Amino acid sequence: MARRAVFSGFLLLLAALVAAGPALAQQPKRGGVLRVAEREAPGLDPHLSISFLTHSYVSLTYSQLVRFPNGPEQKSPTDFAILPDLAEKWTVSKDGKTYTFNLRKGVRFHNKPPVNGRELTAEDVKYSLERFMAKSGFRDRFEPVQAIDVVDRYTVRITLKEPYAPFLNHLANPSFCAILPREAEEKFKDFNHPDAVIGTGPFVLKSYEKGIKVVFERNPAYFMKGLPYLDGAVIEITPDAAARLAVLRAGKAELPHIWGWISPEESRSLKQTNPEMTVTPYQVIGQGFIYMRTDRPPFNDVRVRRAVALALDRKGWNDALLFGEGCVDAGPVPCALKDWKLDASKIDPAKAKYLVGYDPAEAKRLLAEAGLAKGFTMPIFHWPGYVLPWRSYYDLAAENLGKVGITVELKPEEYGKYISTTALGKYEGAAMGPSTPFTEVDDFLFGRFYPELPTNQSHVADAELTKMLLAQRREMDPKKRKQIVDDIQRYLADKAYYVYVPQWPQYVAHPPYVKGFKHHDGYGLGMRLLYTWLDK
Amino acid sequence: MKRYILRRIALAIPTLFLVSVMVFALMRFMPGDVATRMVEGHAYAPTLQALRHDLGLDRPVHVQYLDWIGGIVLRGDFGQSYWTRQPILEEFVRRFPVTLELAALTILVSVVLGVAIGIVSAVRQDTASDYVGRVLAILALSVPYFGLAVLVVVLPSIYFKWTPVWTYVAFSADPLENLKIMTIPALVFGVTRAGPIMRIMRSALLDVLRQDYIRTAWSKGLGERTIILRHALKNAMIPVISLIGLQAPLYIGGSVIIEAIFRLPGVGLFFFEALTRLDYPVVQSVNLIIAAMVVGLNLLIDLSYAFLDPRIRY
Repeated sequence: MARRAVFSGFLLLLAALVAAGPALAQQPKRGGVLRVAEREAPGLDPHLSISFLTHSYVSLTYSQLVRFPNGPEQKSPTDFAILPDLAEKWTVSKDGKTYTFNLRKGVRFHNKPPVNGRELTAEDVKYSLERFMAKSGFRDRFEPVQAIDVVDRYTVRITLKEPYAPFLNHLANPSFCAILPREAEEKFKDFNHPDAVIGTGPFVLKSYEKGIKVVFERNPAYFMKGLPYLDGAVIEITPDAAARLAVLRAGKAELPHIWGWISPEESRSLKQTNPEMTVTPYQVIGQGFIYMRTDRPPFNDVRVRRAVALALDRKGWNDALLFGEGCVDAGPVPCALKDWKLDASKIDPAKAKYLVGYDPAEAKRLLAEAGLAKGFTMPIFHWPGYVLPWRSYYDLAAENLGKVGITVELKPEEYGKYISTTALGKYEGAAMGPSTPFTEVDDFLFGRFYPELPTNQSHVADAELTKMLLAQRREMDPKKRKQIVDDIQRYLADKAYYVYVPQWPQYVAHPPYVKGFKHHDGYGLGMRLLYTWLDK
Repeated sequence: MKRYILRRIALAIPTLFLVSVMVFALMRFMPGDVATRMVEGHAYAPTLQALRHDLGLDRPVHVQYLDWIGGIVLRGDFGQSYWTRQPILEEFVRRFPVTLELAALTILVSVVLGVAIGIVSAVRQDTASDYVGRVLAILALSVPYFGLAVLVVVLPSIYFKWTPVWTYVAFSADPLENLKIMTIPALVFGVTRAGPIMRIMRSALLDVLRQDYIRTAWSKGLGERTIILRHALKNAMIPVISLIGLQAPLYIGGSVIIEAIFRLPGVGLFFFEALTRLDYPVVQSVNLIIAAMVVGLNLLIDLSYAFLDPRIRY
């Protein structure tokens, strides 16, 4: 017995040594510049654009009050725990309506004129969040905010009209809640000018040659001591997707996309040509669906919508297009949003079949019951330019629906038209496309189903649902909120207001010497680079 | 000659006027509304009305047109981008050298290749070299330049872990580095444009070689090289030069894709991005400037005929 214990102890020690070996070798090294091949961002002002490129570019330079975990801090790419950023701590009043943030002392803006490295104060927070509320395309998220007050130099109080559970998540999102210095706007009119990009973040924007490259250098005065490890990062403007992958293969870039993303198909080809590359699949917050005018015939009839839902062979799609790696239970809460997702397997199968089932015979029966035994013609408006699998998605939808007697007329639209009309609910019949990968479950529920919102693309107006949508955003207890969100998912399962299509995993590719780069959902790059280092 | 030039310049005015009306009208026929996109997608103003007013889109169309064209004619002001609020001319001037250099190198490649192969094909008509030349020309004509560009970028990256894509450096900053960057895009673009030049060169030279003055030259006992290069080639070049003039807009249009693939910060991309964002003033002004250049280039080409063929007098 004793001998066995000694032996087990020896084995444990051995295992510990083996595990510690690579860990010791993996001490982050300082230095090096990371090169990113990406398209040009339409602008640099985080409030004047909703482009993920703009937000990702400037996320290197700005901080927020709070932030999401990254690198070793994160449990998963969808870990949306709230960590301190500029606010070192905060309190929320019992009624959930007052947030008080205590700022870190001694945080300085980048040393660039006209700000010249002055200390960040509560005034900057008030100015930035008020500017966000006045200018940003995402300003609706702050609709419940009543007042932002400066209590003292290092304390900010935000008062809400009502409890609002998604609030901290929105504040942490690098898309829009960056803290900016007022002087820069006064001098440059907005934050689009490269010289106006002055933040408190891990990198300083050093130079921007339009159409060529954006150069960032490590911020030596960054408040997280010892970070970032990199000396800098360069975004090399590369408009063409084939060229982005080519520069990765040729060793001229470390990331072939602002987040290192490539499609499942590209990942296979890359692994073949460059077996040394680190290629990691991540289930990301993506979602795609068919949306319909549920306020008008024929889609105001739930039987017709259910027929559409049952006509789609999701498993077939997944096998044919996504190498079987996709997630077929893709809505209403995306697969990757695990904290909130209620899997279809936990929903009454009689209802869940409208989310994940495939039953063309039943679809035909439902159509006949709805008086459409001879089928009908369904226009599907869409933008054909979305990333690769999408083009096949439209065709597959048309083919699947054709088999139950629904003749699909695919109506391709120019991007400008699609994004400013169809995607905002201005269309007839039906449409199809991907959703923005939001970080808050509220955006996928309240945003998609609350009456009259432009993001309610299916024109849903369901009184019972509306009550639950409001209740979940007002519930401050996460457990109770989760119960309401589950109820909403159960309720929505057989309504088929949106018909969700399989979601593919995103592959993140970079050379093996790039260490510590972990994917995290949410529109930013700066924090992902905080713990990234180059082993060469 | 002077009168001819003045007359041509006078004729350019109605041409450019028509171009300006057409681009102005076409932009407004494009589907989608720029103001809606700027407000709903990007929050450029609190309301659609406010932005329309701000951009002057609430005024009658003819007033908008006169304001734009008036600015150009009277003050040399080509306007500002709706999205970036930056002066268009400034951005154009910054980017134009890239596109101009690409176009010049492309023309150089296509002329050298097209003329050389065209001469060989014509002089050695119906021989193996003629057939090879003609096959090459058809091949160059039928391979789309954007497809060739992608292959040139992607294939070496797969097989040799190398790709001819660099970070752009201006000629003034480092001429050698700049030429290294520009050569391959110009070769790709130039090879595909050499096809038509070769075919025109061949048929024009065949035509000229059958003329009396060439027969006279042969009978005088002049060498083949002298006859072809000094007597025949000059005349045969006229249709080739015309073709280059006709292709000029293609060098700008085609540069969009070449610039995107080889990441060159030229006018093509500026124009393309403006088009996708419905940035009316940018599309209109860039179009007009390019139209003016094409008109100017064609005038230069017409004048060059007099140099190539002394019988032509203006």
